[in-house]
Amino acid sequence: MKKALKAAIFGITAGVTALAFSANAGIKDFYKWEVLNAKYVNDELPTDPKADLWKSVPGKKVYLYPQVSVRLNDKKANEIIPRKRLTAALVKVAYNRDNIAVYITWKDKTPSIQPAVTTNAFADGVSIEFPNKFGKGITLPYIGMGDSKHPVTVYLQKEVAGRDYQKSFISEGFGSLTEINEPDVDVVMVYNKGKREWTAVFKRPLKTENSNLKAGLVPIGFAIWDGSQYERDGNKSLSRWKFIRLGKYELDKDYLSYVSWGDMIHKEGDPERGKQLMAQNGCNGCHRYDDQQMAPEGMAPNLYNIGGIAHAPYLRDSIVDPNDVVIKNLNQNRHYNKAGAKDVNGAYPNNDMFTWYIVNPDGTVSSKMPPFNFLPEEDIKDIVAYLKTLRTWKNFK
Amino acid sequence: MSKRQLAMVMDLNKCIGCQTCTVACKTQWTNRNGREYMYWNNVETQPGEGYPRGWQEAGGGFDENGNLQDGIIPDMVLDYGVPWDYNHDELFEAENIQPDSDPVWGPNWDEDVGEGDWPNSYYFYLPRICNHCSNPGCLAACPREAIFKREQDGIVLVDLDRCQGYRYCIAGCPYKKIYFNPKLSKSEKCIFCFPRIEKGLPPACAHQCVGRIRFVGFLDDKEGQVYKLVHKYKVALPLRPDMGTQPNVYYVPPVLQPPKFDENGKPIEGEDRVPIEYLEKLFGPAVHEAIAVLKSEMAKRERGEESELMDILIAYNHADMFRLDNEYYQNIAAEQGLKGSEFFKIVDSRYIQGANTQKIEIKSYF
Repeated sequence: MKKALKAAIFGITAGVTALAFSANAGIKDFYKWEVLNAKYVNDELPTDPKADLWKSVPGKKVYLYPQVSVRLNDKKANEIIPRKRLTAALVKVAYNRDNIAVYITWKDKTPSIQPAVTTNAFADGVSIEFPNKFGKGITLPYIGMGDSKHPVTVYLQKEVAGRDYQKSFISEGFGSLTEINEPDVDVVMVYNKGKREWTAVFKRPLKTENSNLKAGLVPIGFAIWDGSQYERDGNKSLSRWKFIRLGKYELDKDYLSYVSWGDMIHKEGDPERGKQLMAQNGCNGCHRYDDQQMAPEGMAPNLYNIGGIAHAPYLRDSIVDPNDVVIKNLNQNRHYNKAGAKDVNGAYPNNDMFTWYIVNPDGTVSSKMPPFNFLPEEDIKDIVAYLKTLRTWKNFK
Repeated sequence: MSKRQLAMVMDLNKCIGCQTCTVACKTQWTNRNGREYMYWNNVETQPGEGYPRGWQEAGGGFDENGNLQDGIIPDMVLDYGVPWDYNHDELFEAENIQPDSDPVWGPNWDEDVGEGDWPNSYYFYLPRICNHCSNPGCLAACPREAIFKREQDGIVLVDLDRCQGYRYCIAGCPYKKIYFNPKLSKSEKCIFCFPRIEKGLPPACAHQCVGRIRFVGFLDDKEGQVYKLVHKYKVALPLRPDMGTQPNVYYVPPVLQPPKFDENGKPIEGEDRVPIEYLEKLFGPAVHEAIAVLKSEMAKRERGEESELMDILIAYNHADMFRLDNEYYQNIAAEQGLKGSEFFKIVDSRYIQGANTQKIEIKSYF
């Protein structure tokens, strides 16, 4: 029966997308690990984590990896990153005619509420993000709050003393978070002392000014902050894109085959060969990953745990067409050029070597990473297979 | 980064550590709204831990290759010191006047401690404000790019609308002169009194200074005393230039000090109490030349000769010490077509208004 099902799905997908390849597309595994089945209800959706509804919605584990793609400058926060653990969250999704609610619960032995009179204490928090546009023909955004071509909507809840720190943002990558006022959004976050866990429920309309989630398969990303580990902003843990299955809406088979491409590639490809290919193609000149540490820090995103936070199709897109996912690096003033001429006020110019993109004369941006679309399909698959095995951050410095 | 740069010079030979500048700043800007613990201007004793405690070892700034360095965020209780008050209301009843908390550190905690043993102990006062650096560490560290340097005068400000209170700026500033406001959950810092500056007034700390140690002006104003002290005579030096941020507050290093005494209590000729190594650590290798120039100009004056440098350092006249070129700002206002009460709008509205958020009314600061 399995074989027949696979063959059937494959028959549909292989014809419509060049992405499909002969290895097992792993649709079944994709459903098992990456898809959150949402429960349809006729009633109001409760934001109370204790509401009865949540007992009847099946949950799924989502794993969140410490963010190490970019390195921030808090010494204490950086020192503990290599020792951080994977965060496991249980996620449930319910929806009705107009709204969607996402329930997320995770263990945290140290509930942290940012106090009103300290300088160096941080809040626990949680956020979810949805791409503003997704579906057939639209590539996945960068998981770290989108990218310049793929804006996302972010909903954030933090525990700050004396106020309800709930915010909504539009984001196009690092540093671009812009607060918006989206109506009818609610987030409730509660700590259970007995179970030593936080639970949050996010509720928003299915359709907002910025995004329409009325689709069979909706990408969603998660981030969690542990205040006791100096986490805020990019010091956080994040998931890869997960996909909510809304049964009331039609499933776009093309989109399903795109996002599930190569889901088991790390088992089916040849990661060893992929690693060699990466060295041969000079990837380690700019990126740090695994035991490859020769790239200057900040030259390009670190790939230590890219296999945990990125899907195979995203990795493939990034290799073949880096211009589709241009990520603006953190504040460019972080590196200045000592060899450059100082201006009249003694300021050194920024060091362009650390800029990840080029601004074209027409104002568009291109990635500094050249497209590796000349690589044979087999090579790309093996590189993606290797990248998917990268899931540790113990070499982060 | 900016077209022009405002700068301040402080003559450490004349600072008496009276904290008038500190009070001027505090009453103007930081006595309210979550800023109570902050000292945008402080005067500390050097050698010493300073304020916040151990700021020189707290990281930030840039390495020799121009890469931002990691830093730490000082602790409210251990490093800044929680603001405390005394039981003044019980002045006539209570046995003791005592603080209402049990502080372990505070601004000026190690006042007048210094280094060395009697009779050769030494210290001097070091007033510190934000250095409005040419390559600011705070600005570089902000992942939200919420900190900016004004085109017209290089003043470094926080866009409070973009700021999300992440505090990487505090780690990135090697001088720890940007602070977290826990009440607003935003970072705040010395604003070089820009609303005063734009009206032609010097910053409150400089205006109030009883020792008249502070000079304020544009670094490209060749007739200005700031220019002459920094560029012509090169006697005013940035603090800890090795931190790599190109600061724009400059210090005339302390050369006037009592002599060192020998075992019999006799002065030792030609020996300085404050070790030159210490001054070099604070002000860089240029301190040797600066001290040489200061001493030779002092000697000239002692011989009854003319010395422009000494005349400047005597600080005869506020009008000469503070060259703010008020018309400069008036002209910027005119270029923007602002007049009358609109003049205030030349204040960089990013200070309170984000580039991507809804428009809000600009409130008066006074």
